[in-house]
Amino acid sequence: MLENIGLMKGIGGKMNWLQQRQTVLTGNIANADTPNYQAHDIQKPDFGAVMSKAANRPRINQLSTNSAHIGGERKVGEVDTRKTKDVYEAAPVGNSVVLEEQLIKAQKTSTDYNLMTNLYRKNVGMIKFIVSK
Amino acid sequence: MDILSAMDISASGMKAQGARIRVISQNIANADTAANTPNAMPYQRKTVVFKNVLDRASDVEKVEVSKIKQNQGDFRLKFMPSHPGADENGYIKIPKVNTLIETTDMREAQRSYEANLGMMQLSKGMLSRTIGLLEQ
Repeated sequence: MLENIGLMKGIGGKMNWLQQRQTVLTGNIANADTPNYQAHDIQKPDFGAVMSKAANRPRINQLSTNSAHIGGERKVGEVDTRKTKDVYEAAPVGNSVVLEEQLIKAQKTSTDYNLMTNLYRKNVGMIKFIVSK
Repeated sequence: MDILSAMDISASGMKAQGARIRVISQNIANADTAANTPNAMPYQRKTVVFKNVLDRASDVEKVEVSKIKQNQGDFRLKFMPSHPGADENGYIKIPKVNTLIETTDMREAQRSYEANLGMMQLSKGMLSRTIGLLEQ
């Protein structure tokens, strides 16, 4: 029921995205000393567009059975992993993972995740409050 | 790709760095291991090479030790005529292990290990916050 609320859907999508990013960043750090390894990051989805679409969407949605279908609901979770082009520096052995850079990104991801879980909690609290009246 | 697989990746990174530290310890411990006969080779310095592998079960890229390379024929000569491994001129072959380089390498491995550990803690925090959503 809760997932039909646009805001909840947005928060869930962002949490999913943050988890995927955390996994990718963990992979970078684990491969910090692997020769010729290029640091990866995942594409940023346009959360604003997703939110406005979720808020103004028509009541009935066309069912999409494939992510390539147009007109279906837009999902936040579908992102692809890409090699990062703009990195701090690359080692002579061809490794472009800088621990500091990756740790900052990971810390940001974790903070954002914290924000999302707290927002979720607050929203559920609000709904609960209304329901209990 | 979820948080649990992120913890798997961190564990693989820690395992790889652990293997690296083990090999470095071996090098330092054997820094003075000379050959016992004049023709034999002394201990050879080893280096670890990592590789990036795709774990098909969880569809994530982990790290593992690809090979432990032996630096063949890399040795120094030391004048020690009483040693059983000394040649006719009184020189023995001892491994070319520079303790300073090994210690620096060890520090680097330690930092990488700590970074992996930090990522594991971050992932664990995210997971426990998700679970925390249940208790409200």
